[in-house]
Amino acid sequence: MVNSTACTAYLARYVAIAAFTVCLSACGALPPMAPAPPSQPSPEAGPNARQTQPGPRPEEAPSEQAPRSPPKQFHLGPAALSLVSQAHKQSQSGDLAGAATTLERALRIEPNNPLLWIELGGVRLSENNGDQADSMGRKALALATGDPQAQSASWRLIADSLRLRHRNAEAAEADQKAAGLAASFLGAQGR
Amino acid sequence: MARSRWKKTLWRLSLLVLVLGIAAGGAYYVYLDRLVSHQFEGRRWTLPAHVYASPLELYAGLQLTQADLRHELARLQYRRVERLERPGTYRQQGARLDVALRPAVFADESRPALILSIQCGATAIESLRDSAGKEMPLVRLEPLLIGSIFPIHGEDRIVVTPNEVPPLLPAALKAVEDRKFDHHHGVDPEALLRAMWVDLRSGQIEQGGSTLTQQLVKSYFLDPRRNLSRKLEEAAMAVALESHFSKADLMNAYINEIFLGQDGDRAIHGFGLASQFYFGKPLSELDVSEIALMVAIVRGPSYYDPRRHAKRALARRDLVLKLMAEQQVISAKDAQVATAKPLGVIARGAGSYYPAYLDFVRRVLRRDYREEDLTKAGLRIYTSLEPRAQEQAELALDRELTRLDRGKRASAALEGAVVVTSPQSGDVIAIVGGRNVAFDGFNRALDGRRPMGSLVKPFIYLTALETGRYNAATVIQDAPVQIRLANGDLWRPENFTHQTYGPVPLVRALAESLNLATVGLGMDVGLPKISQTLQRFGLERLPPQVPSMLLGAVDVTPLEVAQLYNGLANGGFRNPLRGVRAVISDDGKAVKAFPLQVTPVAPPEAVYSVDRMMEQVMERGTGRPARAVLPANLAVAGKSGTSSDLRDSWFAGFSGSHVVVVWVGYDDDMPTGLTGSAGALPVWARIMAGSQEVSWDAPMPESLAETWIDYDTGERVEKGCTPEAVPIAVPVGTQLPVKAGCTNSPHTIQSIVERAGEWLRDIIH
Repeated sequence: MVNSTACTAYLARYVAIAAFTVCLSACGALPPMAPAPPSQPSPEAGPNARQTQPGPRPEEAPSEQAPRSPPKQFHLGPAALSLVSQAHKQSQSGDLAGAATTLERALRIEPNNPLLWIELGGVRLSENNGDQADSMGRKALALATGDPQAQSASWRLIADSLRLRHRNAEAAEADQKAAGLAASFLGAQGR
Repeated sequence: MARSRWKKTLWRLSLLVLVLGIAAGGAYYVYLDRLVSHQFEGRRWTLPAHVYASPLELYAGLQLTQADLRHELARLQYRRVERLERPGTYRQQGARLDVALRPAVFADESRPALILSIQCGATAIESLRDSAGKEMPLVRLEPLLIGSIFPIHGEDRIVVTPNEVPPLLPAALKAVEDRKFDHHHGVDPEALLRAMWVDLRSGQIEQGGSTLTQQLVKSYFLDPRRNLSRKLEEAAMAVALESHFSKADLMNAYINEIFLGQDGDRAIHGFGLASQFYFGKPLSELDVSEIALMVAIVRGPSYYDPRRHAKRALARRDLVLKLMAEQQVISAKDAQVATAKPLGVIARGAGSYYPAYLDFVRRVLRRDYREEDLTKAGLRIYTSLEPRAQEQAELALDRELTRLDRGKRASAALEGAVVVTSPQSGDVIAIVGGRNVAFDGFNRALDGRRPMGSLVKPFIYLTALETGRYNAATVIQDAPVQIRLANGDLWRPENFTHQTYGPVPLVRALAESLNLATVGLGMDVGLPKISQTLQRFGLERLPPQVPSMLLGAVDVTPLEVAQLYNGLANGGFRNPLRGVRAVISDDGKAVKAFPLQVTPVAPPEAVYSVDRMMEQVMERGTGRPARAVLPANLAVAGKSGTSSDLRDSWFAGFSGSHVVVVWVGYDDDMPTGLTGSAGALPVWARIMAGSQEVSWDAPMPESLAETWIDYDTGERVEKGCTPEAVPIAVPVGTQLPVKAGCTNSPHTIQSIVERAGEWLRDIIH
């Protein structure tokens, strides 16, 4: 019994790996050493979304031999989205402090969404607060693991914050990282 | 001749005495006048600053049951009705609540009154619609008023302005205490004589005959003497006050000043605070019978204490109602209806009154704002307090301490403190300063400075990982240590169990809080580096650089621990802990705002690895007992702390949504017999289990890989191969010794089968 189930599973897995490898080599979607991204994050998943052991942890689901799931992509929920568009209006009318307050409100709803940290960092940048823009970029980067698009945007924010403080060499490096990630993201999207 | 001269001299002398007497009397009056006017001016209650809690954001997907929502509405004094009327009411239609929201003023904007339909699911809000049926992305409830303070005086009072006072209250006070208040000049001779007559006949002082102004004077100076000269002094001061201030000013001062009860060591002054103390709601919302009870209490707050002498208080309240009806302050029918009501007094300590948090707010204001900004009238102060979290923390501490106290010292009760923060923002959302939460006294959360014990250990392990020479699987020796101290003494620390454990991987040494292994590790890493780590995470005073620091000989407050652990929960980013988000002046401008700030203070990889080790504290180590209470699928990380001789019991840790720090101990620093796991942990677990916690689920940095090791040996194993397999995070490419024979066990096959099964499902979907 166990054996036959195992066999079927192995077969399925083999086929799947093969299919995935073909796909990867065809489009060069992921950098070869890209680590296994955690499974979907889901700000919408609500509390207790993650399991502790002995149940399976999302991070470990794709083990070393297992194929990689497609890159995840962060989205904003409707509540946060409406606040972000409000913050954009406030920024455009020159009310940077108001925009920041509105984004903080959004962050209380989705504190782990890197897109919001990038938005807030952008406001700090407009306020010429390079240090905080940099910190927010790094906070976003830490949260964006597995989402090349958000990672790329984080690096771009960091690059801008470095340029603001005339650290051009480091800024160029950060830009490069942003560009590399953007390429991988575009590749993945084409797949 | 001699006689007439003598007569003349005597005459002159008497005149002199008379003049001197009048002069002295006048001077004395001027003195009393100055004294009482100064006192009045100094405590004149102009417009206080209003302090608000964080408003609740409602949006589709918010984890909130309908019962929770009704509780939130009740806290904001919304009444449930059959048909929606004015703002401040709601009705239930099955799973839907229709709420007539009051207009609200937030720190950043105002919202008009609004009819909102909230569709509730089993665990979360499903949708929000306005009265036209249009879907709304999010709506804020108005922020709860948690106090009115004078930021500079820092007095524990809920000051009310004349427009917050129900008109019935001054009317009732006049009817019962001082009928001629509007016309007299501070004293009412007729009332005084009447009172004296009654007193003479009964042979004791029964009636005061004091006007409200005299009572106010008495309250200012709290002079216990009840003799004639004191009465005359008070009368003179009352006359002086009346000559300087208007009746309206005096009535307002009286309402904010008068003594209305005792709560342990705390005197309840003013009707604003008393209304919270007795009824748990603002003064403006009291009904006729409640106002009558307050007026009844004025006459003798301990004699008519409605909690201790309910019968007496009830009789006196009914008398007050009768007098009010006689004086036509209320109709006879109103009096009848009010007389039929029960006292309506809440249990002690209930209500939306959070003195420990207000104390924190006052200190933040004094530290971060200019004095001239704070003396402006009519400030609005928006704080981070979340009433729901505050309530849960208060309840958890009270319940668990009551349980823990059984069979302990009869002479003293255990005390405790709790601080709760939101890790990503650094917002302080709850502070419990002690067991009696309504007591504005010693605030243990802010001032209780105790040795942190093993709470320091995560920072030692973090510093070790930062050197690059250690990872979570590195085996260190838990063996006897001897260290020669600067004073020549030999320091020989021991494990809590007085045993030694030999070679252990880092993860186990931290999970089981092994002292000897930690001291060895800390000495190898170096005390200065560890001190620096603590400083980077926000410890303001440099800890002493002595070896005993490695076992937590560092005195800290619960709030400081929250600052330190917030950085661990926030992936190595430090936020200055924040209690005040903004102070807004009465023209709507921000006096000063405290924007969200983050600063990276440690490599995310090292912090992530330590956090994963702290998860094992909960799974296998000193935090394990909490698992019996916590939801099975809730991922949390934490660390226990115990000071020498079991004087202090600590637990600090976090989920994805909250950092919670708990301290339990005695105020007199006597041993409690409780470890961190036995004392603080149950409180911590109850708080974590009670709130809408989100699992700790930080994304693993890309330079790390998750791997499973044998908890006892640190050798690499397949997951499930042995019951001792635990997951850790190590830098990608780390070579770990492999446990022999662990790949062929049936467990492994099982796990592969499971994984393949999952895989298949994923592909099919």
